Amino acid sequence: MKSLKIAGLLALSVLSSVATTTLARAGEVTWWAPNWGEERAKDLAKRFMAANPGITIKMEVTVSNGLPERVLTAMRSGAAPDIIEVQHGWVNGYAQGDLILTLDDVIQDKADFNKAALDYVTWNGKTWGIPYRIETHGVIYNKDHFREAGLDPDKPPKTWDELVAAAKAMTKAGRSGFGITGGGEVGNTIFRSLPFIWMNGGDILNADMTKAVVNSPEAVKAVEFYTGFYKQGLAPKSTLENDGLALRRLFVAGAVSAYQSGQFDLPAILKENPNLKLGAMMIPAPAGKQTAAILGGWSYVIPKSAKNPAEAKKFLQFLNTTEAQGFYTDTFPARISSTKLPRFDDPMLKPFAEMLPFGRPVPVHRNWVKMVQAYFDGIQRILLGDQTAQKAMDQANEEIQALLK
Amino acid sequence: MTAAASSRLRRPGLGTPVIIVGALLLVAVCLFPFVWMGLSSIKQLNELYTIPPRWWPDNPTLANYYKVLFQSRIPRYFLNSVIISVGSTGLALILAIFAANGFARFRFRGRSFWQAFILVGQLLPTAAIIVPLFITLKVLGLVNTYWGLILVYMIITLPLSVWMLTSYFKAIPIELEEAAIIDGASRVGILFRITLPLSMPGIVAVLVYAFITTWNEFIFALCFATDSTVKTLPIGLAEFSTEFNTDWGAIMAASMVMTIPIALLFLVFQKLFVGGLTAGATKG
Amino acid sequence: MRSNAGFVFVLPALIVLFMLIAYPVAYTGVLSVTNEQGQFTGLQNFADVLRPRVTTQALWNTLWWVGGSIVFQVILGVAAAILLNQNFVGRAIVRSIALIPWVIPGIVAATTWAWMFHTEFGIINHMLTGVGALDEPIGWLTRGNTVLPAMIAINVWKLFPFVAIMVLAGLQSIPQELYEAARVDGASYWDEVRHIMLPQIRPVITAVTLLLVIWALNSITIIYAITKGGPANRTLITPIQIFRLAFENVEFNQAAALSVMFFGIVMIIVFIYIRALANQPGDNQ
Repeated sequence: MKSLKIAGLLALSVLSSVATTTLARAGEVTWWAPNWGEERAKDLAKRFMAANPGITIKMEVTVSNGLPERVLTAMRSGAAPDIIEVQHGWVNGYAQGDLILTLDDVIQDKADFNKAALDYVTWNGKTWGIPYRIETHGVIYNKDHFREAGLDPDKPPKTWDELVAAAKAMTKAGRSGFGITGGGEVGNTIFRSLPFIWMNGGDILNADMTKAVVNSPEAVKAVEFYTGFYKQGLAPKSTLENDGLALRRLFVAGAVSAYQSGQFDLPAILKENPNLKLGAMMIPAPAGKQTAAILGGWSYVIPKSAKNPAEAKKFLQFLNTTEAQGFYTDTFPARISSTKLPRFDDPMLKPFAEMLPFGRPVPVHRNWVKMVQAYFDGIQRILLGDQTAQKAMDQANEEIQALLK
Repeated sequence: MTAAASSRLRRPGLGTPVIIVGALLLVAVCLFPFVWMGLSSIKQLNELYTIPPRWWPDNPTLANYYKVLFQSRIPRYFLNSVIISVGSTGLALILAIFAANGFARFRFRGRSFWQAFILVGQLLPTAAIIVPLFITLKVLGLVNTYWGLILVYMIITLPLSVWMLTSYFKAIPIELEEAAIIDGASRVGILFRITLPLSMPGIVAVLVYAFITTWNEFIFALCFATDSTVKTLPIGLAEFSTEFNTDWGAIMAASMVMTIPIALLFLVFQKLFVGGLTAGATKG
Repeated sequence: MRSNAGFVFVLPALIVLFMLIAYPVAYTGVLSVTNEQGQFTGLQNFADVLRPRVTTQALWNTLWWVGGSIVFQVILGVAAAILLNQNFVGRAIVRSIALIPWVIPGIVAATTWAWMFHTEFGIINHMLTGVGALDEPIGWLTRGNTVLPAMIAINVWKLFPFVAIMVLAGLQSIPQELYEAARVDGASYWDEVRHIMLPQIRPVITAVTLLLVIWALNSITIIYAITKGGPANRTLITPIQIFRLAFENVEFNQAAALSVMFFGIVMIIVFIYIRALANQPGDNQ
């Protein structure tokens, strides 16, 4: 009997374990902001609270590692905060899963927003997120490597052929002329290779999203172009294990002369190697065709289970002012009027700013993530030497088609 | 032959060369990445990623440690981690000692079933249970509390603790306990007076492993502890990464801060690692 | 001893676990047979998730991953335990060092290994080419035939200390009298290992192996942090597929269906295992 008592006591003590509920107070807006903008976010929250004494902004810092899991877990279990910052591409999934609120009443002047960014967060004719930060890739290059190869660093390549020629000229023992990604998260390689398909007039899906077209001649040629840098030895041997970060490290170490990335890499490179002579160019396109890029960036969303949506919307209005957007973004603001701020008047940023109008959203399809995975697997099969570009894209096309039903 | 006689008395063992080579090999394998991490933590940014890689930095620095200890939330998270890990290990150990005693010493209906049941929480992939688990915590009002994580970690630590302790308890000769029953000891008395002292090495091993498992757990902590008053060390590590950047020097330094105290703690625990049975407690 | 007293001892642990996992288990079960709108769809999710070719490939990879990991973890772990059970100077320190792979947080360990395995930045290639073992760097993580073994090696490294410490604890508990009796019969050290140590720690090894199997079946940290299942699904294992379905594709219903199947298979393994365990001589009832 003694043992029974002890067992019961134990069970009781566990069950009655302190019930400290995390009830949100009225007028409190919980804001999940990523750690890289923490200081600026605090500043914005302070300013807003000073102007709106009835509302408290409670910041909770998020990290990029595991962020999609954390956001989805909170939303699906009905215990989400009031405002979350998420990548544009995630917004649609949340909208279709009925996890977030429409924000049409928060956005009054859509004309002042980057069109592609708005397309990302629109579904069923409604706006589900407010984009505040946008960016595209350009090409970052090492001016000294250009000079050493007898190229003019102030006249970077404009066409595919020129890019390949420059990469060939700069490649030598222990140095690769043009780095591409083939590993890490799917997004790394999609951001770098899909624009080439677009430039060449191809796509992964046709316009009305009824057919997979990734094995079309235009698309296959672009895929051959992209993977060709590795196949011809112009990209590092480690391509299959490299993501964008690894490419940047190889660039800083002088093992890669040029690679695609966003302006967010520039300060990081200079911090690690202040003597590196940096150049940036728009992404070269096939002769006579226009360049292209994937538009990336971040939006605010209000989860359906937000406790104080009215106050949250009021705060969003504040975050969306021209001034606040220009202040908060790490790259470019989604508001066109914000880009006029002096902060963005930097010659190094010019090629990236010029890329913005060519930035496109990725298609809004519920199986998109699976489709790019199928495409990415195809790219990896080419890089591994399992298949030719045509075969790999044929297989990817078949898999993507199956996801369209 | 005195030499032969003394070797007869001494416990035979592996030859000294085998021990030396084996120990060196073991140390090398276990420390190889750790040394690399340690060296990385004292490198400056421009010496972290070099081609070819270099072991020793030209300009070693303690700046990363300064950043981790004085300019980050790591010290606070360290405290949170200690509370949560001690709490969940302690709770798991208490529950597991009783449960293992039940499994190892009694035959009751459905024993195999309940033994399997203990494992259920680990048979479902984390990705599947994390959302409903969050809802459970919400209902209990334990989101963003120490108790929330301590309880959730039972899913991870109980299977380990119950199963391992059951196997250790089984190894104890049952005659000892039967003798005690004849002497009139109660079930719980036997557990505390005989079983536990005799399986001390097992308890220490389980304790250490349960503690470390919770110490390093990431995904539950990430989802269930969103406020910095309850965040744990692995989340602190992730905070050194941003979207397109990772402060490797700081992560390596923080990992050292996370790892070394635990290894030292185990060094102190070594004394307990000698089994009661080796003292000759069994009746011949 | 046959009485309900045993169940009373077990009860508190069961209550705590039940409180935590009852809802998740039911929730997963319901999700697996419904669609996103919550309508009953029968086995549709199961069919959807089984259709892609990649599911089969992931299952094969999982078998290799689990099998390869367990065999080496147990062999190396037991060997290390026998070594650490010897008396030698500095034993306490070596024992503490043996704990280190387990203490290093999984993500950090995985990323550090990826760094050391890297074709260009990697110290491993640098050392191997330095001593002349390799002519040129090997792409450990970029070649189809080395990437899964590399993952298994990292997993073995991370977990063999667990086996070592658990088995060591078992060895420590072996009564001295058993050795003495054997010695009277003139047994050599290897006789002791075979006839005393291994039989005595058999319950420990069986429990450890079962835990290892479950962990290997559930562990995504190492692979997800390094290759994300690539290149071209060469390291894709089922738990990573479930993770992708749930959190990358927001297909919680299909993820649940796959989880239920996975759960069923593992449960069968566990029951076979427990049966075998109950029949073995070490079970002293």
